[in-house]
Amino acid sequence: MGAYAFSALIFAMVALAGWQISRRVAWWRLGAPAEVAWGRGLLALPRRYLVDVHHVVARDPYASRMHAVVAGGLVAASILTALAVLPPLGGSRLYWAIVALAFSVTVIGSLLVGARRYPRKPAKLSAGRFQILPFLLLAYAVGGLISAALLAWGGASAATLLPALALAAAGGLGLAYEVRRGPMRHAFAGALHLVAHPRPGRFEGRPDTALAPLDLDAPKLGAETPADLAWNRLLSYDSCIQCGRCETACPAFAAGQPLNPKRLIQDLVAGLTGDEASYAGSPYPNARPVADDTPPLARLIGEDARIHPDTLWACTTCRACVEECPMMIEHVDAIVSLRRHQTMELGLPPEKAAEPLAELRGAGEAGGRALSARTDFAAGLDLPLISVRGEADVLLWLGDGAYDLRYGRTLRALVRLMRDAGVDFAVLGAEERDTGDLARRLGDEASFQDLARKNVETLNRYRFNRIITADPHALHALRNEYRPFGGDWTVVHHTVFLLELVEAGKLAPGRLAGLSVTYHDPCYLGRYNGETEAPRALLDLIGVERREMARSGKRAMCCGGGGGAPVSDVAGERRIPDIRMGQAMETGAQVVAVACPTCTAMLEGVTGVRPEVKDVAELVLAAMETPR
Amino acid sequence: MKIVVLLSAGLHPVSGQSILPKVEAQALRLALALGEARGRHAGPTAFPASDALGHGLPHLVHVEIPAEADPVPALVATLEADQPDLILAGRRGQGGDETGLAPYAVASRLGMALVSDAIAVERGEADGTVIVHQALPKGARRRLVVRLPAVVTVHPDAPAPRAFAYGVARRGIVETRLAPPGLPAAERLEERPYRRRPKLMRSAPACGSASERLAAAMGATSSGVANVMVNPTPEEAARAILAHLRAIGVLPPKAA
Amino acid sequence: MTRLRRNPRGERAAKAVAGGARIRFDLAARAEDRGRPRRDPRAESAELLIGGHARPRLDRSGAAGAAPSSVEETAPTAPKIAVVESPAFLIAVVPDALGERLSQHDRQLFGAARMLAGADGAVVALVAGEVEGLASAGADRIVAIGEPGYDPEGRAAAIAGALSSLGLRYVLFPETSDGGDVARRLAVLSGEPLFSDVEQFSATSVSRAARGRRVEQRAASKRLMTVAADAVAAYAGPEREARPEPVAPAAPIKRAILDARRITADPATTPLTVADFVVSAGNGVTDLALFRRLAEALGATPGASRMLCDAGLMPRESQVGASGSVLTATCYFALGIAGAPQHLQGVAGCEHVVAVNTDLHAAMIERAGLAIVADAQDVMQALIAALKEEGA
Repeated sequence: MGAYAFSALIFAMVALAGWQISRRVAWWRLGAPAEVAWGRGLLALPRRYLVDVHHVVARDPYASRMHAVVAGGLVAASILTALAVLPPLGGSRLYWAIVALAFSVTVIGSLLVGARRYPRKPAKLSAGRFQILPFLLLAYAVGGLISAALLAWGGASAATLLPALALAAAGGLGLAYEVRRGPMRHAFAGALHLVAHPRPGRFEGRPDTALAPLDLDAPKLGAETPADLAWNRLLSYDSCIQCGRCETACPAFAAGQPLNPKRLIQDLVAGLTGDEASYAGSPYPNARPVADDTPPLARLIGEDARIHPDTLWACTTCRACVEECPMMIEHVDAIVSLRRHQTMELGLPPEKAAEPLAELRGAGEAGGRALSARTDFAAGLDLPLISVRGEADVLLWLGDGAYDLRYGRTLRALVRLMRDAGVDFAVLGAEERDTGDLARRLGDEASFQDLARKNVETLNRYRFNRIITADPHALHALRNEYRPFGGDWTVVHHTVFLLELVEAGKLAPGRLAGLSVTYHDPCYLGRYNGETEAPRALLDLIGVERREMARSGKRAMCCGGGGGAPVSDVAGERRIPDIRMGQAMETGAQVVAVACPTCTAMLEGVTGVRPEVKDVAELVLAAMETPR
Repeated sequence: MKIVVLLSAGLHPVSGQSILPKVEAQALRLALALGEARGRHAGPTAFPASDALGHGLPHLVHVEIPAEADPVPALVATLEADQPDLILAGRRGQGGDETGLAPYAVASRLGMALVSDAIAVERGEADGTVIVHQALPKGARRRLVVRLPAVVTVHPDAPAPRAFAYGVARRGIVETRLAPPGLPAAERLEERPYRRRPKLMRSAPACGSASERLAAAMGATSSGVANVMVNPTPEEAARAILAHLRAIGVLPPKAA
Repeated sequence: MTRLRRNPRGERAAKAVAGGARIRFDLAARAEDRGRPRRDPRAESAELLIGGHARPRLDRSGAAGAAPSSVEETAPTAPKIAVVESPAFLIAVVPDALGERLSQHDRQLFGAARMLAGADGAVVALVAGEVEGLASAGADRIVAIGEPGYDPEGRAAAIAGALSSLGLRYVLFPETSDGGDVARRLAVLSGEPLFSDVEQFSATSVSRAARGRRVEQRAASKRLMTVAADAVAAYAGPEREARPEPVAPAAPIKRAILDARRITADPATTPLTVADFVVSAGNGVTDLALFRRLAEALGATPGASRMLCDAGLMPRESQVGASGSVLTATCYFALGIAGAPQHLQGVAGCEHVVAVNTDLHAAMIERAGLAIVADAQDVMQALIAALKEEGA
């Protein structure tokens, strides 16, 4: 009889959880429609969970072990208990011993969950309902353990079993209830999110990072309210477990700008349902005053709305939060959707960004400079124009770094190396427009699409085998974001190309022995395109002593220059490049190697005594001038 | 108050692409701050004046005239019917002859007053007046009370235009009207490609060695022997500085 | 103590015996002790030595030690005044004359008018109120057109009257806010052709840029012209007569501008690019609160070097230099700024520079019209104290 009562508890829990979920599902259905490959997603779920999610979770070994033990124990114990409705199992004392074992694992897991939060909770974790979770887990696990043990022992009387079952019921039903609004929501929403993930390419080994083109004829451009976001995005925000990994990775958060990715996601959730439990994690640093209370499904962004515009514009779109999120949430997509509405429907881009955006429309260049001046850095180098040549093996895309005096040095080094290697290359010259990266990140999709079409039209007029660029932002646009506009080319970053030339023996650099170098990964190369190895291999080939910063590769920290953040210029306490330079100085390296014009500009802007900033191409050129 | 903003087809100063002149977008911002405004453009196409829709203009009347026609009679013909109280325009067109005469011609033919170089316009205390803040050199302003109806030209120091918004532009309306027939063609002057010429350097001496002239051009000239005080007492230094500042007139003379 | 410098050539010439075909010398004769005294470089540099430095530093500016050489006062000769008694035609100039003083641009206008007038014509200055320096600027006649103050409508009407009553051949305006405004009013009022913003000026033809500086428009001189700054050199000839000419008062007109009041710029909020007087702090300023008090006391717009802005001690908008604001101020007062090339580019357009710096060899000291080699903190304290004392 006791066995049936115990199984019945599980069914009651499932029923309660199911009811709670259905209420949650109603909220998601408010979102915009989205196409989801259900079959493929469902089939891929185990792999997505066990491989991709685990890969991220395992970066924090304690959290990984804790989750395996508590979730594994909880699921196993609950399923085993539920199966006890089958008469032969429910009557077996051995079976109950096994159930007791599963519950004891859950007990250990619950203690691990508790130990992380008590006696002191780390700042990145949220409080509130999350602080009750260990007790619910423990009550359920201990109650279950005692009940199962009593059943296994055989001498269970109602008097002994009832209090234990009551404890398990209190914990278990509490957990089930929490599926709607508490931490346990992440279990169901997370699983469904993995099935219906808006970027399935992430699980297929390719960097699925390009922003989706916006239909400019849509009745509303961008997201104004949570209901303008696709339903599976709303679902993904519900899967947030508020672990705070995003906020520790976020450069804007570190710099004291009013952005916290975790808080932002919770604001999106709260903006949808309106009856959300109050947020109990770290706030936006130096939060700007906003409306105290907003109704559900109201406008999200504004000084009189839920989220202050500064929060939106502080993002550098570096994707560090996305990279760190164990629930695979796409924060940057949300930010860009919201920005699109601010910029295109309300005409409210950041104050200082209006001018560059206007120049992009009027001059095809964010600084309003003449397109023909782009090649001024190469005075005396006699760059071949593809309009004269008609075709070339390699088209060199210069990017807007070419206007910068400092970065001109890098491009001159690259041109010299290509000349030395006998590469047949040409440039577009005055036909090269801005890629529109800045416009797109700032939400001005219309300008981006206009520039993309014009650039695609120009590039498709000429014949070349590959595009080489030293600008990862241009690389990302040309390689990934121009595809829907008819741009289908092989786009190669200059570090990959130089490595190829060295490996093919066309360049024979010497060794810069005695020079210590630390390489700063550009976000748009490392995280957006997964290319972290070529520059390191090049540095090793020229014989420098390579040191790694604590945050490097796909987990590197942003220089603060992406996503239009320099033009938005949201005030914080520190500057992001200063923080990054501090990390570089911790390695004691003499040189910070960079591979991006934006990183160069941002890191060169750091004042005081600091390592030199040099592009990988400049270091290779320096190595060419030293004997082997 | 009926407000009309005159819009023109400009050229980007660097790229030469057709754009709405920035100063007209600024004029539009001033107009929208006062109340509902309509746009008026005379030219062969509505673009690029239609960009004003993206800067917040709800309604643009485009008077279609041939490219070589003088836009003033066409504008006057349509404005006469509307009888606007206030017309805002850029201080100079951009991309055309750039004489800055059109607002004056429109004002004179409509019998309206004209005030130039506004950086702010607000409603006046008395009915039928506006207060215009006019830009003066060195950050100074002039506050004018102007009787309506008036044409006000806007100075580039006016507040920056509202950002262009694609979605807002989609919602705006362009109404195209045909111009009255028999418009005179604008006067054409002899033209040739622009050539940069050396500029007169007001501080440079007409004679002197090349290095002297270069130094003068770079502003490094020290007029005669520079007055250097080495390690004076702070009080001496302060007296010398104040005396110097008074001598060059940036500090008001000592109150006696 | 110093021996006189020997002049062997002079000594030889003194011993030469006059007369005779061959040069002969009287070697017994003693040349007089004449000539420059010998220099003692060591003593001279000792005199130039500046105390208070570990390394010896010299002040070669001539300010210390050496007494200034007295310049002989030349007796002022009476200037010759050029007079055109009965001019064949009249060329009018309408200077802005802000504050009843001619600007450089106004003077250039008279230069242009003189070019048009040649020997037979006369230049008429159409001015409101008493304006200084018209004679030296090149005006032969002066005609009053109303009272000083902002009255573009009245001014245009008055000039329109003069245009016919005096039979002016050409009227020149400066292409400034006020001058350009009156010129255009006059153009629509009188129906006379206007050629605006003249960049190339000659006696017969004028040209201007148009269509976004893509083309140049050229025409024979028009009756009304506005001339850009620095297009013509100012008149540099002898002073002219500047004879006041009586004129009938203009008929009253109906004005739409009911009231005009000038609002002087608030230095604290004026953008640096247009500010008239900028006081700027660099690395040598450690007490920024004191600096801000000084800026307020002087009524100057505060600026800063890149160093201070990067460090976040001053707002980014206050950065002076190539990457910050490029100034057009009348006076730039640099406190504790060494003067990096990029910074100097930002102040190239400033008429006067005052610098306070501890380093005598700083570029800013070299650029300054008044340079103080001292600690900026002490000078700031003293300046505030001096201003307070005056105010009290």
